[in-house]
Amino acid sequence: MNEEPVTGATVSLVGGANAAVTDAKGQFSLSAPEGAQTLVVRAIGYKRRQVPVGPEQASIAIRLDQDIFNLEAVVVTGQATSIEQRNLPQAVTVVNAQELQRAPASTIESALQGKIPGAQIEGNSGAPGGGAQISLRGVSTINGGVDPLLVVDGIVISNRAIGNNMNAISLAAAGGNASNQDNPVNRIADLNPADVENVEMLKGAAAAAIYGSQASNGVIVITTRRGSAGAPRFHITQRFGEFRVSNFMTSRVFKDSAEAVTVYTDSTLVGQLCNLPNKACPNYDNIGLLWDRHPLSTETDASISGGTDQTRYFVSGLVKRDGGIAPNTGYDKQSVRANLDQVLSSRWGLQLNSQVIHSFSQRGISNNDNSGMASEHQSLLFSATGGLDYYQQQNDIYSPPELQFEPNDGQPGTVVLGKASNLNLNLLVSGVHTLTTSSGTQATTSLGVQYVDQNFNFTNIVGRNLPPGQQNVDKATSININQDEQPQRDVGLFAQEEVLLMDQRANVTLGIRADRSSVNGDPNKYFFYPKAAVAYRLTDLGGNSANELKLRVALGQTGNPPVFGNKYVNSATATIGGLFGTFVPVLAGDPGIRPERQTELEGGVDGTLLNGRLQASVTLYNRSISDLLLVQTLAPSMGQGQRVFNGGKLRNRGIEIGAGYSIAQRPDLSWIVHSTFSENRSLVVELPVPAFLTGGFGTALGAYEIQQGKSATQIVGQEGVVGDGEPRFRMSFSSDLDYHRVSLGMTWDWKHGGDVINLTDLLFDLFGNSSDYNTGGKQRANAFLGGKTQPYVQDASYLKLRELSLSYRLPARVTSQLFGSRVTDARLSLSGRNVLRFTKFHGNDPEVSNFGNQAIARNIDVAPFPPSRSMFVSVDFDF
Amino acid sequence: MKRIGLILTVAALVIGVGACDFNISDPNNPPQIGPNPSQPVVAAAVAGIIIAARSNAAGWNLDAGILGREAFRFDGSDPRFITELLQGPLDPGSGAFGGNFWSQHYAAIRSTNNLLNVIGTASALSAQEQNATRGFAETMQAYSFLMVLMARNQDSIPIAVNVPVTAAPAPFVTNDSAYTFVSALLDSANAHLAAASAAFPFSLPSGFTGFTTPTTFQRFNRALKARVEVYRGSRGCAACYTAALTALAASFIDTSATADLNAGVFFNYSTNSGDAANPLFQNPQTGENFVHPSIRDSVETKPGGGNDNRYTAKVIGRPQVSAGVPPLSSDLGWIRYNTASSPVPIIRNEELILLRAEANNAAPNAVAAAADVNYIRVHSGGLAVDGTLVGGTQAHILSAILRERKYSLLYEGHRWVDMRRTGRLAQIIIDRPSVDKVFPTLPIPQSEVLARK
Repeated sequence: MNEEPVTGATVSLVGGANAAVTDAKGQFSLSAPEGAQTLVVRAIGYKRRQVPVGPEQASIAIRLDQDIFNLEAVVVTGQATSIEQRNLPQAVTVVNAQELQRAPASTIESALQGKIPGAQIEGNSGAPGGGAQISLRGVSTINGGVDPLLVVDGIVISNRAIGNNMNAISLAAAGGNASNQDNPVNRIADLNPADVENVEMLKGAAAAAIYGSQASNGVIVITTRRGSAGAPRFHITQRFGEFRVSNFMTSRVFKDSAEAVTVYTDSTLVGQLCNLPNKACPNYDNIGLLWDRHPLSTETDASISGGTDQTRYFVSGLVKRDGGIAPNTGYDKQSVRANLDQVLSSRWGLQLNSQVIHSFSQRGISNNDNSGMASEHQSLLFSATGGLDYYQQQNDIYSPPELQFEPNDGQPGTVVLGKASNLNLNLLVSGVHTLTTSSGTQATTSLGVQYVDQNFNFTNIVGRNLPPGQQNVDKATSININQDEQPQRDVGLFAQEEVLLMDQRANVTLGIRADRSSVNGDPNKYFFYPKAAVAYRLTDLGGNSANELKLRVALGQTGNPPVFGNKYVNSATATIGGLFGTFVPVLAGDPGIRPERQTELEGGVDGTLLNGRLQASVTLYNRSISDLLLVQTLAPSMGQGQRVFNGGKLRNRGIEIGAGYSIAQRPDLSWIVHSTFSENRSLVVELPVPAFLTGGFGTALGAYEIQQGKSATQIVGQEGVVGDGEPRFRMSFSSDLDYHRVSLGMTWDWKHGGDVINLTDLLFDLFGNSSDYNTGGKQRANAFLGGKTQPYVQDASYLKLRELSLSYRLPARVTSQLFGSRVTDARLSLSGRNVLRFTKFHGNDPEVSNFGNQAIARNIDVAPFPPSRSMFVSVDFDF
Repeated sequence: MKRIGLILTVAALVIGVGACDFNISDPNNPPQIGPNPSQPVVAAAVAGIIIAARSNAAGWNLDAGILGREAFRFDGSDPRFITELLQGPLDPGSGAFGGNFWSQHYAAIRSTNNLLNVIGTASALSAQEQNATRGFAETMQAYSFLMVLMARNQDSIPIAVNVPVTAAPAPFVTNDSAYTFVSALLDSANAHLAAASAAFPFSLPSGFTGFTTPTTFQRFNRALKARVEVYRGSRGCAACYTAALTALAASFIDTSATADLNAGVFFNYSTNSGDAANPLFQNPQTGENFVHPSIRDSVETKPGGGNDNRYTAKVIGRPQVSAGVPPLSSDLGWIRYNTASSPVPIIRNEELILLRAEANNAAPNAVAAAADVNYIRVHSGGLAVDGTLVGGTQAHILSAILRERKYSLLYEGHRWVDMRRTGRLAQIIIDRPSVDKVFPTLPIPQSEVLARK
């Protein structure tokens, strides 16, 4: 048998306080009272094991089985409580470190693509450094916030995306759509994927109710790595690779001067240019030239962990440079994380997590935690978590006066200096009481209060008309300054009762949360969000203890707070000739505004079958969102374009299936495949306002229309409904094969259906410059000019090979010869991301969102940064 | 005991945190003007009305210029300046094109109503100062309504818009009723200005220089009244021409030897923070806005040679650029607004003189009309006197007036409206007969129609 030592397993006595942790050789020692005892061994990734030890026994060898489907992984069920996956009454997907790190990812969102049923994780463009939207279970709002709540090690982190005001140069908002199209990146992109132990996705209200009015878009709970007792363990990963453009739109090749004249009209000029034999025109691939870079990309990741029984530490560092496919683009990130655990006494412990990140100038996290006491049959845990999350972002954009487009506005040269800072203060105080009766019934009561104070402050300076070579805003002769402050205070009170009954086969959970927030019209009114869930396990199916089936049903409510400022009836301001003026703003606020309310009913079956080799989970859900934060488009003769108010109802229904199958599980061969499937349909059930457009550039160019009785993501054009942004379904498939020393892993991601409004194609066609102008572009353009939008609302189905990795573990003999005996493990790998792509979409990439993260109006393509594929060679060392 | 202590601690925190007040007032913007506004609040509302009225002014000159074939815009990133404004159909759903020149004017109107609704409660202002404020706000409101009417020639104009945003939209009225309303509103403003204090209780920006007291502001009010009455005249109201002449007499019209044809009221721009730069100012050699070549084709030459002074002051040659399918091209750039702070006129003396010619021609008083037309030809264009006017038909003189208006008011948003109200849209040159059209009106915005369903 080819068995390996398990490092870091915790060994304790049932009913005793002592515990030991296994070392690098898997050994431990533990002193025990006299008499026969039972040992409990726990290790992450392995099934828990209880072994009896005789009164005279001095040593024991214990074999652990791998928990290949993470059934015993602990999942968060409340603000202060957690439960093993097998007892969980809701569908919560946990993605562990191994799955996250199959192939190097620029940012953590891309490492989650194709791994979570029910999550749509799509990039906004191919620009370096991320910018992806995570939406869980379909459209959850029309005008409210769209990003899931981000909780890192118990602290609510601001997941705000701040635009860089590139609009000052692109003037994108000056056209038909008043939105800036700056393509900002969310802050989740800052986390170093290598620091993450696991990511839990609470997809809807049924699982996330305990987070109350902030959780309507779901909750992403991220746990970072911690040290375990033992000698220092080092891990180093060094990667080298490159990014290459995987697709871009090419321009038209004119076959001769006659054809070129139809576009460029100037026959003399065309005659001079098209001077090849038969009046053929030379072709210069200017677009290709722009995207042809593939500089060396590197990543160095190192960590040290270890400690004693009293103090444990995990320290990591990352230096990363992703080269961009266009000149002067790229993404740099440096981060350092230190997670410390200190036992202060038998009752008190201290956790300190800190992270310093530099990537587009953003900064990290720290928090502390102290936790408490335990008795034999009852336990009461009191925990106070205080944390602060402070970050700064600085944007510098310099567009020198010499650029060919800069003189157009008569003010050559533009510089944009944006500074944003955000301070989140968190206070979470909770008490957890656990009562275990002699019959095995366990009741966990938790009660607590959470207070979050956010202070966002953003200053943006745009300077125009710069002298040559000067980049400071104070050198500009024309300066515009904007400041935006968004202070917000929230408090939530919660109580939850979780009961494990009938030999821990049944789980009944009841909970309630009450929230109030300064962004509500009445800041002192509490809104209540209840939840209830039941799960029952049928065990020992077919006489095999590994087979079991769990039936579960859960009901919960969450909210989505009004957008900051919705409650204010205010004025817009500007100046004219030095005079300050106030006038009506476009948006009329509502002093009675309140949060959206989502009610979700979810039910499902989880099964472990075929002697534990197949794990499958099917979940059906129905979520309805009422009291929507609607923006009524007023008759513009009212003088204000829009009015916010609560009303209407939106429904999403869907199915999620996740399945894993262990094809082989032998010491020399392990092969596990996973697959996910999800399908969601939205419906606007009730709309107290006339149908309205949201996003897009008007119906002529295709726009999303919210209409009662229709899908929330329908796209209308000049001729009526021309498409829908929501995919028919999504599927993914992944495989992890280990054969002796070789591992092969891959993830395929398939989106079927879902349309993109491809305005890039429109621009190419209208100016006669599309590569297929003669065979298709001309017909499209003519159809468009004849009143049809359909040709530019295009099917964006795709199949992508998201991840591919091949790695080889050097034999111990070779490792010690090459690197000395200290190195315990060395691996070589070749891995790629977005390696293959199959799509019929006629643009750069079917994953696109011109307006960044959007509740509805994603999938609009206006000359986005093209996608790239990356390939890396890495070496990993453990010592 | 420990447990009770902990539970008490949690309970105390719950109550403590639960009780604090979360009221945060808007840190970014002042509230909407409310009852008993102070003098600075009134002054800010006044400047705000001018800012709101300005927001569409430059865009109108460009779009109306394209619709009336004074201008082209070859915009590499938005083809609709060609495909929509020249080829059509005009899209009532696009706020920047077919659906434009509506919501921003009504925003200015709502801003004036918000001030008018509370000005009577402003205890910091005397009754006369309140009247001065009313006279200003009503005049500006009439201007905004007039701009809505200039962009649209269909009987669907909401007038009674002084209602809460939660109320039903105001009913549509005919254009005739709307013109009558605007005319009466200007008279009401004039009466308030007549009963006002000697000075306004606020400052006006530099574009209003010369019109900064209620008395001098009345001359601006009468100038707008004259335009309204001439427009009403061309809609068939003969008496309106007489009313126009009366209004002109009380306006700032000046045909003396030293008259400044450029005297008038303007929207001023600047590159200061919070202010707006004139968006029509571009580098004339590289910008996206072009002069329509027909402007050069019909330009007259001066007796001593050389083009009309008005042409040379506003148009300049540039390398030829083409766009569109089939292609359009132009080799002329704009120097009409030649700095980022060039003001955009609301109404000028030059227009008033030509309005008087039009009103006199309708009387009919060919001699007086010819005198004003020739005054403009000589003083503004440097051209010879047109001897065919006296003794010419009314239609002949009207054609002459429209020709002078074309060059005098070039790129000021008049040509398309003039051709429409005189029934001459068919005379506008179409470059590509297979695809181009001349539109009589912008459509009613889609959102205005949808909000009534």
